This record gives sequence, C-alpha cells and structure tokens, in this order.
Amino acid sequence: MTTTGTPSPGATRVGPARRPASAPLRVLTVVALVAGVIAIALIPLSATPYTNYQLSVVAAFAVAILGLNIVSGYAGQISLGQSAFMGLGAYAAAFGVTHGWPVVASFLLAALLPAVVGLVVAIPAVRLRGNALATVTIILPILAVPLAKRFSDITGGSEGLNVDWMHAPAGVGLDDDQWRYYVVVAIAAVLFLLGRNIVVGRIGRAFAVVRTNEAVASAMGISAHRYKVLAFTIASFYGGAAGFLYVAVVQFASPDLPNFLVAINMLAALVIGGFASLWGSVVAGFFYVYVPVFAGAVDPSRTNIFYGAALLLVLFIVPGGVSGGVSRLVRLLVGRLFGRRPPARDDDALTDPQPITSTQQDTAVPDASPDGLRSSVGPRKEVP
Amino acid sequence: MSELAGPERSSRTGAADGRGSGNILELEDVRASYGRAEVLHGVSLQVSNGGVTAVLGANGAGKTTTLRAISGMVTAKGRIDLDGQDVLGSRPDQVARMGVAHVPQGRGTLDQLSVRENLLVGAYQRRDRKAVEAQIAECFELFPALARRQTSTAGNLSGGEQQMLAVCRALMSRPRLLLLDEPSLGLAPRTAEEVFEAIGRLQKETGLSMLVVEQTAALALALADTAVVLEIGRTVLTGPAEEMAGRDEVRRAYLGD
Amino acid sequence: MQHAIQQIVDGLAAGSIYGALALALVLVYRATGMINFAQGLMAVASTYIALTLWQAGSPIGAAVAVAIAVSLVLGAVTERLVIRRFEGASPHTAVVVTVALLILINGIVGAIWGYNSQPFPSLFPTGTVTVGGVVLAIPSLATIGVLIAVVVLLQLLFLKTKLGLALRAVANNPESSALSGLNVGRLLMVGWALAAGLGALAGALIAPKVYLDPGMMDTILIYALAAAVLGGLDSPMGAVVAAWIIGVSENLAGTYIGFIGNDLKIGVPLVAMFVILLTRPQGLFGRKEAVRV
Repeated sequence: MTTTGTPSPGATRVGPARRPASAPLRVLTVVALVAGVIAIALIPLSATPYTNYQLSVVAAFAVAILGLNIVSGYAGQISLGQSAFMGLGAYAAAFGVTHGWPVVASFLLAALLPAVVGLVVAIPAVRLRGNALATVTIILPILAVPLAKRFSDITGGSEGLNVDWMHAPAGVGLDDDQWRYYVVVAIAAVLFLLGRNIVVGRIGRAFAVVRTNEAVASAMGISAHRYKVLAFTIASFYGGAAGFLYVAVVQFASPDLPNFLVAINMLAALVIGGFASLWGSVVAGFFYVYVPVFAGAVDPSRTNIFYGAALLLVLFIVPGGVSGGVSRLVRLLVGRLFGRRPPARDDDALTDPQPITSTQQDTAVPDASPDGLRSSVGPRKEVP
Repeated sequence: MSELAGPERSSRTGAADGRGSGNILELEDVRASYGRAEVLHGVSLQVSNGGVTAVLGANGAGKTTTLRAISGMVTAKGRIDLDGQDVLGSRPDQVARMGVAHVPQGRGTLDQLSVRENLLVGAYQRRDRKAVEAQIAECFELFPALARRQTSTAGNLSGGEQQMLAVCRALMSRPRLLLLDEPSLGLAPRTAEEVFEAIGRLQKETGLSMLVVEQTAALALALADTAVVLEIGRTVLTGPAEEMAGRDEVRRAYLGD
Repeated sequence: MQHAIQQIVDGLAAGSIYGALALALVLVYRATGMINFAQGLMAVASTYIALTLWQAGSPIGAAVAVAIAVSLVLGAVTERLVIRRFEGASPHTAVVVTVALLILINGIVGAIWGYNSQPFPSLFPTGTVTVGGVVLAIPSLATIGVLIAVVVLLQLLFLKTKLGLALRAVANNPESSALSGLNVGRLLMVGWALAAGLGALAGALIAPKVYLDPGMMDTILIYALAAAVLGGLDSPMGAVVAAWIIGVSENLAGTYIGFIGNDLKIGVPLVAMFVILLTRPQGLFGRKEAVRV
C-alpha cells in the first residue's frame, strides 16, 4: 500500500507507529532498560514478602492484559472476556498440580487449553464486529462462573481449589515468596519478549492493517478473519499462562477470577495503561493490582470511581494512556534538551484516527484525497 | 409552482466589504481540512442571486469538500458569506436553517423511512402544515414516479427516483440556495439527463440559486450561468458557463491531463 | 399443565423487565450506534433515587415517577457531557466509553448508598388471581401490562409525532438529517434521556424481587443485551418479543431440564444469542443494515 500525496484520515498506517528513535532517546532507553532489569532482579532480596507477592501478582495480570492488548489493542477486536481464559488457565494449573503433574505439563495445560477454547470460540465469533463481538465475549465470564461452581468435583465449587506448590528448592537460599517472584517474573518476561516479537513483526503489521481497515487488508491479500482468530487465540494463550502464574503466586483458583468485572477492569486498566503498547500492559498490571490497594480494599466504590474517572480522563485528554503520555513527555523533553522538534502527535483515543465531527464518519474517504484507496477498494462504509 | 422553493430574495445589501451585493453566496480563499490534512487550499467562488454556478474538477479536486465546508461539515477557514451573513463555524443544521439545502453525494436518502416521511423531514422546520401538504402534492406532480411510491420505503426506490426524492426533500425547506453534489452519480445517462431536465425546469420556474458539483461537465454547463474549475483544492478558473466548454482547464479536469 | 402456565406467565414477567432494559439499549443504539454497557448501572442509580424518596416518606408510585423524570435529565446530561465527544468514534472506543461509565457509576452509587442489599417496595399489590384454575401472581401480570403500555406509547411516539419522525430520521442517517436542519445533538440527547427513563422503570420493576444493590442489574443487563441483539438491535418490537422468548424459555428450561437448573439458566439466552448472531447477524427481527461495522 503505497499512498501518494496527502493521506486521508481513512488512510492506513501500516504497522505499529514506530518512528526511528533519535540517538539520545535510544541511549536513554538502553540505560533505562538496564537499570530496570537490575532493579527487577534486586527488589525481592530486600522487599517484604507481601511486596514480593504483590509484584508477582502484577506480573501475572500484566501477562493477561498483554494478551488482551494483542487482541484488542493491536488487532482492534474488543474482548470483554479475558478473565474467563485466565480463570480457565488457573483451574487447569491447579488441576495439574493436584494431580501431581510436572510443572511444565501443568503450564502447557494451563496455556494450551484456554488457547484451544479461544480458537474454537473465535472461529465463528470474529465474523462479528465491534459492538456485537464485545457483546458475545461477555458470554464467556458470565457462563464461566456458574460452570466453575457446577463442576465442583474438578473445580472445588464456590470454595475453589487450594494448591501447595512452587516452593523454593532447598539450597537456593531463597524464601518461597522470592522464588515465586523470580519464576513468575522470568516467565512473564519471556512472554513479553515473545509478545514484542509478535507485535513488531509480520503478524503485528497484519494486525494493524486489519485493525485500521479490513478492506485494505483484503486488498493486500491479508485474511482479516484468519488474523483475528489468531489474535484471539494468542490472547487466550496469554490469559491461560497468566492463570498459571496467578496460581503459582496465590496458590488458589476460584470462581472469583473468571468474573465479568475482572474482565471489565482488565480492559479499563489496559486503556489507562496504554492501548497497543507493551509498556501499557505493564503499567496496566500495576494499576490492576495497586489501585484497589491504594483506594482501600474495604471500599470498592473508591476503586471504581478512580478507575471510571481515570478511564474517561484517558479517553478525553491523554490519548495513548499512561504509557503513551509518558513516552510523548519523554520525547518532548529529549527534544527540548537536544534541540529537536518533538514528532507530531498522530495517535488519539485508542489509536484510531479520530473523526473531526460526527457527521464526517459516513464518508471516511473525502474526495480530495488522492490516495488511490477509493478507486481500489471503495469507501469504507460499503465493506460488508 | 409558486409554493416550490420560493427563494426569499431578500435585498439585504451583500457582503460587509460592499462587494457584489448581487451574490447570494460568496466564498473567498476557503481552506478546509480533514484532521491534519488540508484538502482545500484556497477556493473562491460566487453564486449570483437566482443564478447557477457549476463547480468542475477532477476526482479529488475538492468539489465535495467545498460543499461540505459551506454546510459546516468540515472545519474551514477563509470567508463564506450567505447573503452577506457569515456562515463559517456554523453547524450543518444551523446552516440549513439559514436557508441552504444541501443534497449530498449519494443523495442522503433516509432509506428506512417512507418517501412521504423523507419529505416531511425536509419540511421539519416549517409550521405551516397546509402549505407543506400542498408542496408535497406539487412535488408528486413534478415527479409522478414518486407519487406512485409515496408510502414505500425510500431505500427501495431506484437511483433516479432517489435523486428526485433528494431534490424534493431539499426543496421542502424552502431554501434560498440549493447545493447539489453530483446529482448524476451512479445514474444511467438517460436518467441523469431527465434529472437535470427537471432541475433546469425548476430553476427556470422558481429562480432558485444553485451551486452544482458535477462530473458530467456538459450537463452542468447547460444548467449553469457561471462555472468554476478546481484543481487540487484551488480555484484555477472562473467564468461564464458558455465560454468554458472549450477551455483547456476544463478538458484537463475531465480527461486527466 | 397449570404449573407450566404459571411458569410461562412468570417467564413473561421476567422477560418484560429484560424487555424494558432492552428497549433502552435499542433506543441508544438507534440514536448513537453504541451499545451502552452502563445502561444497567444508570438504572440502578435511578432505583436508588426512588428508594431514597420512598424512605423519605413519598408513596412508592410517586417516588418511581420522580426517579424516572430525574433519569430523563441524567440521561440527557450523560449524552451531552460524555457521549457527545465520542459520537462517530470507532466501535471499540465506544465500548470503552460506556464501560468507563459503568465502572464510574458503580463507584458513585456505592459511595452514596453502599454495597449492602436493601429491600425495595413493590409497585403492585401482592396477591394472586385465579384464571381458569391457574393461580397467577398480580405483580407478574402487572409487570407484563406495564411493558405492553410502554411499547404502545413508544410506537405512538415514533410513528405519530414529529419528534418521533425526527428521532427515526437521525437514527437512519444523521448527516442527511442535519442537512435538513435537524439538531442532531439535541435529538441524540432525547434518545439517551428516553433510554435512561426506561432503565429507571426496569430498575423499579426488578428491585422488589431481588433487593437493591449496585450489582442488581448486572445479570439483567446481560439478558437485555441478549434480547436486544436477538431482536436485531434497532428494532424495539424485536427486542421486546425476544425478551419474552428469553424469559419464558429460560424459566421453562431452568424448571424442567435438570442439568440446566437455576444456576445455568442464564446460559440459555446467551447460547441462543451466539447462535443467532452467527446464523442471522441482523437478529430475528432486524433489518440487514442494522449490523453496523
């Protein structure tokens, strides 16, 4: 897709918005990364067991939210059901543990079973779009909770399943909380690297095209259907893996996890953290775990008011969420310090080209945009 | 026919700078953008009172955007005066209430409503129910095809019928200026001619001022007294319609170089 | 057989409540092309307003009427202050906006009224009537009657009034409507206001049965979503009929099919919704165009 002349608002930006980073910015990034890795490695040695526990839970939810990010942020298919996959992964992990399976086998079950379920649901479901798809994905958590309670001989019913595993091996010299932290954060790091490779690679570019314009995708020979199924399956895999990590830390799987409100709050945390951004998923994990702590776990109303207000705030004035805002700020500061102009802002609420007025949506491709889009695939609204 | 579209030819003296009081619409150096992409870089044109101006240009020259700028559907800068009144920055419904009827590209049919309901929506601002009914009757007289299908859903009409309905709906508001965006689009040549014949008849009988964007230059130039050629978002040529047919700019606009 | 008829009537009554909320969803969808996931919590807030008035000594009927009136205003204000900014936004932005409202209103309601369940008085006298040997509960019959009245009033509004014509025009083609001089923004506000009023009614009808707490409408919203989707999202009549079908079928399935029982009966409409969406995306009664991208 080569566009000539002025791109229209409907024009497709192929691939994630990656600008060549300026040299000082690159140095800064490397320094920050190294410092971050060292900090992540050293923290558990001095922090309290409870802090280690919380940070491990952050890692678990960051992985689940990364999965949600891949399907919703990168591929543009809103899911309100991610908690169901995390719950399924948690139960699968607990099942493996209670049946004496090796840890690797438990992990594979926890990650692959949700992936298969996600695949089976996605194959028909991704034929739906936007609203309808979001509506259908709600079904998953709404059904998961009564199902989990019903099959109590496997799931432990309302009580849930307690497990006792993932203890620090003798001789390592670590306490359980430290050991679990390292295991969980290491797996999460591997999953994030994998996720990064997915979203910046060929698959990620295809996701971006599917997200921004399915007509263009089909004109480019990209099967929107296949990539949406793939995104859903990857998201379910990450959800399941996150369930495994959750059980590794919390030692418990219960119907409270595959809850509708958990799914909603994950989506909220993701948008606040930053749609279609890997750092956004990390920030979102922290949000998910720490906002209720700070707001006072006793009073859920404050958590919800904060979440709701923060979400609206992001939608209204900080497009790109916290990570987007911070990266813009950093670019701006670096630009000031080193005398470069900050790049123009090209993202907005949830990375979509925002309409200028409501009335313009129907003719997304104005006549004065010689971008070749119109002649080849026609205006967007005629896409069946 | 007097009920149809009696344009209020108010003799308010024109633009603030005293230029051309005979013009119902004046655009001067209008720039407009979608998001950050500016697509009009300086469009100027006039529609005289009771006259017809045709806007010609290649695909992508900014013809539709010009009409959308007049109706307040895109953010625009410059000067847009309707009968001496500044309309820049007004919402589409406000511009409509000032007496501009805009038939958008693709006709803007309310396809789930009946033919009659479409006309009633056009007359939404009016309180004189009897006159509205009389005008609906006249509209059906002008386009008998519509009369036969007045209770059927507008989405089921043929393209030509929808175009006639769109013109009628626009007239129902008794506009002083009619904006037509490619009335022949998607119509068979014969049907397009019929539509233009009807519009021409209407114009002669009522003296309604019109600004017409049209791909088929011959149809537009036959209807218009003035023509304006746009190239890549700019006015490049203005002149009497009859002198335009042979001009290089016009040929370039349609033959592509 | 008598038992079955009672189950059917109870199912219709439950379906009427889903139907009221489903109508609200349909009104918003028609006006703004959004599915308002916050519709249930807006209804909860309205019901708390009615509860507060009732606790202050107002008769319950008047309390509900005032709450509905207040909800009309709140619905319009929500549209103006929040939704207006996102009209025409991509569906996924729209989903997130209403999810944000859902979470925010949950927090606000919880902060004001707490998270404990509170009893809510019935609008109708308790008691039964016997028709042909079948004992039917008066509240069930009255609930069905209220919904039928609402449907009739809405049809009159949409088909017989100028405002109704304008609302349909804007739902059909906002751009054309604006070019005809209709104030689209104000009409969208009216759509949201009507929806909020309907939600308030649904809340007042369900609260006596399940007690009032901030999560009261969560499952009702799911049923209403299923009904709205089954009905085609843009068809008020379709939504109501689908809601009745859902109410009756889940009641019968829950009662007579042992495996489903009370806990899994919510699966009935959801699975039905999934199947219908896949085989007939425009819903049982919707027009083809209803499935907007």
